[in-house]
Amino acid sequence: MLNIIWQHTRGWQRVCLFAAPLIMLGEVFSDLQQPTLMAHIVDTGLKNGGNNQVIVQTGIWMVFFAILGMFCGSGCNAFGSYASLKMGQALRNHLMDLSLKTRNGQEISTPTLITRITNDVIQMQNLVMTLTRSMIRAPFLLLGGIVMAAIVSPKIAWILFIVVPVLLIFMGAIIAYSVPLFTKMQRAIDHINLVMRENLLGIKTVKSYVLEKQQYDNFQTTNNQVKQASVNAQQSVIILSPIVTVVLNISVVAALWFGGRLHTQNLISDGQIIAFVNYMIQITNAMINTIDTVSSLSRAQTATIRIREILNLPHDAPQSETVALPAANSIQFDHVNFAYLGAENVLTDINFNLKDGQKLGIIGTTGSGKTTLVDLLTRLYDVTAGSIKVGGININDLTLSQLRHKIAVAPQTSTLFSGTIASNLRYGSETATTTDLKQAAQTAAADEFISTREQGLEAPVTQRGNNFSGGQKQRLNIARALVAKPDILILDDVTSAVNLATDARIQRALRQDRKGKTTVTIAQRISSIVDSDLILVLDQGRLVAQGTHAQLLQSSPFYQEVAQTQLGGGQHA
Amino acid sequence: MRNAPGMNNRHGHHQHYSKEQLTVNDLSQTLKQLWHYLVKKRIQLFMVFLFTIVTTVVSIVGTRLNGIIIDQYISSDRLRMLTIICSIMVGMYLFSSIFNWLQNHFMVLISQDTSASIRHDIFSSMQRLPLTYFDHHPSGDLMSRMTNDVDNINTALMQTFIQLFTGIITVIGMLIAMLIVSPMLTVVVLVASLGTYVFSRAIARATQSSFIHQQEELGVLNSEIEETLSGKKTIQLFERTDQILSDFKATNQRYVDHAYRAQFFSGTMGPLNNMVNNLAYAAITIIGAIAIIKGYSGITVGVIFSFLIYLRDFNGPIRNMLDLINTLQLSIASAERVFEVVNATPEPDEEQLPPTASIKGEVVLKHVSFGYEPGVNILKDLSITAKPGETVAIVGPTGAGKTTTINLLTKLYPLNAGTITIDGINIDQIRRQDLRRNIAIVQQEPFLFSMTVKENILLGRPNATDADVVTAAKAANADSFIRLLPQGYDTPLTDGAQNLSQGQRQLLSIARAFIAQTPLLILDEATSSIDTKTELDIQEATTQLMQDKTSFVIAHRLSTIQNADQIIVVNHGEIVERGTHENLLAANGFYAALYNSQFSNLQS
Repeated sequence: MLNIIWQHTRGWQRVCLFAAPLIMLGEVFSDLQQPTLMAHIVDTGLKNGGNNQVIVQTGIWMVFFAILGMFCGSGCNAFGSYASLKMGQALRNHLMDLSLKTRNGQEISTPTLITRITNDVIQMQNLVMTLTRSMIRAPFLLLGGIVMAAIVSPKIAWILFIVVPVLLIFMGAIIAYSVPLFTKMQRAIDHINLVMRENLLGIKTVKSYVLEKQQYDNFQTTNNQVKQASVNAQQSVIILSPIVTVVLNISVVAALWFGGRLHTQNLISDGQIIAFVNYMIQITNAMINTIDTVSSLSRAQTATIRIREILNLPHDAPQSETVALPAANSIQFDHVNFAYLGAENVLTDINFNLKDGQKLGIIGTTGSGKTTLVDLLTRLYDVTAGSIKVGGININDLTLSQLRHKIAVAPQTSTLFSGTIASNLRYGSETATTTDLKQAAQTAAADEFISTREQGLEAPVTQRGNNFSGGQKQRLNIARALVAKPDILILDDVTSAVNLATDARIQRALRQDRKGKTTVTIAQRISSIVDSDLILVLDQGRLVAQGTHAQLLQSSPFYQEVAQTQLGGGQHA
Repeated sequence: MRNAPGMNNRHGHHQHYSKEQLTVNDLSQTLKQLWHYLVKKRIQLFMVFLFTIVTTVVSIVGTRLNGIIIDQYISSDRLRMLTIICSIMVGMYLFSSIFNWLQNHFMVLISQDTSASIRHDIFSSMQRLPLTYFDHHPSGDLMSRMTNDVDNINTALMQTFIQLFTGIITVIGMLIAMLIVSPMLTVVVLVASLGTYVFSRAIARATQSSFIHQQEELGVLNSEIEETLSGKKTIQLFERTDQILSDFKATNQRYVDHAYRAQFFSGTMGPLNNMVNNLAYAAITIIGAIAIIKGYSGITVGVIFSFLIYLRDFNGPIRNMLDLINTLQLSIASAERVFEVVNATPEPDEEQLPPTASIKGEVVLKHVSFGYEPGVNILKDLSITAKPGETVAIVGPTGAGKTTTINLLTKLYPLNAGTITIDGINIDQIRRQDLRRNIAIVQQEPFLFSMTVKENILLGRPNATDADVVTAAKAANADSFIRLLPQGYDTPLTDGAQNLSQGQRQLLSIARAFIAQTPLLILDEATSSIDTKTELDIQEATTQLMQDKTSFVIAHRLSTIQNADQIIVVNHGEIVERGTHENLLAANGFYAALYNSQFSNLQS
C-alpha cells in the first residue's frame, strides 16, 4: 500500500507527505493545551481571592493555541490534499498507460478496469488524505490525552488505564463481529440490484410470458433478505454508542468520587479534576475516530489490492526497428497455436499461405477462433507456437508500429470516439485530406447518412458513437480502416448490422477499391466471401477446410450446409 | 459537457448542488407521501421520541450535577453525600444507556422496514407500468431511482429525521438549562455557535463553484477513462496510444487543479470550527474566572465545568442540524423521483373482462394504425388475416415497423385505430395475461435471467415437469449443448447469460417457446452474427416450432420466407406488397429488389 503511494509521488509531493502529519501534530499539541491551561486558571488564577494577571496571561495563551491549532490544521490539509491529489494523478496516468499499452490483457475485463481506475484510485487518494490527517490526529490525540491527563492529575490517572483498554477491546470486538454481517448485507444488496436490473432489462420478456407474479415473488424474497441482513448488520453496531457513553459517564463519576476523596487530603485540586474530565472526553472522541480510521484503512486495502493487480500486468519492452518493412503483402501461417494465459488452445495448428494481392475469406462458428486469428496477425496477441510471416518476414521481427502501419483493421465491435466524424476517420491516417475521407466514406456507403447531418464530416460524435445506429457505426468503422489505405486490410464481420441492400453496395465498392490488394474478410454471410482466392473454414480453433468457394462446395460438408442455408435451395450454387 | 451517467454520482459529495429546486406543490405532496410511510410506524416512532427525551434529559442533568458535585461536595469535602450522589448518577447513566440502545434499536427497525416497503412499492408499481413507460425512461435512470434514491430516503429517515428531532430536544433542553445556570456564559456558547455557522456558510459559498467544477471535471475524466478503455483495441490497432494518453494527462491535470482548489478551501472548515470551539472554551474559562473574582451572578467553578461540557454537547447537534438540512434537501429530491414511479399510471385494470378459454389461433388485423407519439403514426392502415396454423412472414427494411406490428399483437402497446381480433374476439376484450399465455415469443435478442438453465426454460410454462423441459430442449436442438454445461440443466446462468454464446441463448429461448405450448407464435429472427452451425440448429428448431401454430415471423432467413404461407412486405409503416415468395418474385416489385440485393454479389 505504502510503496504504491511512494512510487507515485516525487519531489515536493513526498515532502508534503511528511509535512502534513508533522504539522498536524501542532494541532494536536495545541488542542491538548487547553484543559491544562484551563486548570491553571481555575487553580492559580482563582486562588486567594483571585489573580487577574494569571487569568489574562493564561487566557492569552489559550487564544494563541486556538489560533495556532487552526493554522496547523489548515496547513496539514493544504499539504495533505496536495500530496493525495498528485499521487492520484500520477497513479491514474500510470494505470492508463499500462492498460492501454499491455497487449495480452485478458486477465482483467474492461468494466472492472474502468471501475478500478475511476473508483479505486479515488479510494487511494482518500487513503493518503486519511494517512496524513486522521491517521495521525486520532491516535496522537488519544496518546497525548492520556499523557496530559496523567501529568495534570497523576493521582487519578489510573482510571484511564482501566477504561481505555476496556473500551478499545470492546470496540474491536464489535467491529470484528459486525464486519461479516455488513459483508452479508452488501451481498444481499448486490443480489436485489441484480433482480431489479434484470426485471428492467427483461421487461418485454416479463410481460410477454406473464412473469410478473414470478418476478414479484422473487423480489419479495430478496427484499426480505435485504431487510433482515441490514437489520442484523446495523443492530450489531448500535450497541457501540450506548456503551461508550455509559463507560465514559461512569468514569467521569469515578473521577469525581476518587478525586473528591483525594481533595479532602489536599492531594488534588478542583482544576485538576475538571481538566482530567475534559481530557477523558477528548480521549473518548479520539478513540472513536481511531476506530473509524482503522476501518477506513481496511476498505482502502481492497482498493490497493485491485490496483496492484493492474500494476503487475506484464508489459512489453519497447522494441527498436531492426528489419525494414517488407514490400510484399503475402500472409503465411505456419503451425500456429494460440492459448490465452494458461488456458486451453484457442487456435491449433493453423497453416495457410496467402499470396500477395489475394483475397482471404474466413468463415466458421462463433468461438471458432476467427477474430483471434486476425488478432494474432496484428499482434494484439503473440502466437504461443508456430510463426506468422508477412511479406516473408516473421512479424515478431517487426515493431508493432511497423506492423500496424502495414495492416489496417475494421474490428468486429465498431468503436467510435467522441469528437467528430472526421476526427474518427483520421484515426486511419492523421494526414488524410478531406477528399480522402470522403472517398473512404463513399466506399463504405457512409456518405449517404453523413450528408444528411448538418455539419457533414464535422458532425459531432458523442461518447462511444451513441448518436449513430449500429449500421452507421459499422460503416464508419470500415471507412476509418480505408482511410489508412493499408497494404493489408482486415474486415472482421463488419456488415452484420447493415441491411442487405447496403451490404451489397459496400461489397461491390470494396471489391473495386481493393482490387489487387491483400484483403482479409471474416464473414457470417457466404455472399461476402464467395469470390475469395482462399477461404478458411474454422471450427473449434482448427482449420477444417480451405480452398475456393467452388472447391469447398465439393470438399467440405460443413461449408455445403452453410451455403445451403444461406443461399437457399441450391439454386445459386 | 460529456457525461458518464451513473458514474459521477457515486463519489459526488456535493451532488445536491446540481439538483433542481422543488416547487412547493411537489414538496408538500412528497412530504405527505413520505409521512404516509412514517404514520404506519407511529407507535415505534413515539417510543423513539420518548426514549430520546429521557436520554437527553439525563445527559443535561448529569452534566449539571458534575458541576454541582465540584462546588458543593468536593470543594466542601462532604464525602458521604458525594458517595450517595455518585451512586445515583451511576444508576441514572445505566438506565439512560438502555434507553439509548432501545432508541437505536427501534430506529433501525423503522428505517429498514420503511426502506423495504418503499422498495416494494416502486418495484410492484413498475410491474404494472405499460411498456411505453420503459421506452421513455432509460433503465439506468430507473435503476438509480430504485437503488440510490431509495438509499437516500433511508438516510433521511434514519439520520435526518431522528437527529433533527433529538437535535431540537437537546438544543432546547440545554438552552433552558444553561440560561437557568448562567445567562452570561450562555451568550458565549451562542456566539460560538453563530461563529461556526457563519464560517461554515462562508466557506460553503466560497467553495461551491470549485466543487461544481471539480465534479464536472471528474465527470469528464471518468467518461474519458471509460471511452478510452472500451476502445482499447481500436486505439492500439491505429497506433493512437501516445496521443490518447497525452490528452488524458491534460484532463487529469485539469481535474487535479480544480479538485485542489475545492479541497484546499473546504479543508479549512474543520480547523476553523475547531478554533471557534477552542476560543469559546477559553472565553468560558476566562469570563467565568473573572466573574467569580468579581462575584457576579453566582458563577462558580462547578458552573464553568458544566459549561465546558455543554459547549461541546450544544455545538455538536447544531452543526449536525445544519448538515442535515442539506441531506434533507437531497432526500426530498430523491423521494420525489421515487414517488414519480410509484405514482405513474399503470396499465388499465382488466378484472372485469371475462376469462378467455382456449384459442384456436385465427388472427385478424383490420385497418390498424399506431404511433408511439400521439399524432405521429408509425403504422398506417395495416390489415392482415392469418388462419389457424398459418405462417405469416413480415419482411421489409430496417425501421419499416415490423417489430412494432408484432408488439401490438400482445397488447404491449394500445392501438390508435383499427382492431385486432383473435378467433373473432377483439383483443381489447381479452385479458392481457390470457392473451399473452396463448402466445409464445422468441425475441431477436432473447433475455435470460440469472437462474439455472432449467428454470429459464420453465418460465415458458411454470407447471411443466422436468421431462417436459428435456423434451422442449431436445426439440429446440438445445439439449446437446446444455448437457455439455458444467451442471447440465442445473447450470446457473450468469448475469446477462454471458456464459452462453448468442446462438445458445437463442436456442434456449426457442426451448422456452416450445414448452409454452401455445397456439400462437411470434418470432423475431436474428439478423446478425449467429455462427453458421448454430444457425442450422436454430433454423431446424424454429421450423419445427412453427408447425401447427399460427406464426408471425419477422423473417431474415430465406428458408423461412420461402416456406411462409404469406409474405407481408412492409415499408415506412405500410404494407406495400403481399403474397407468396413466387408471386412476389414474379411481380418484380419492392420484394424482388430486396430479395435480389442479397444475392447480387453472386452474379457479379
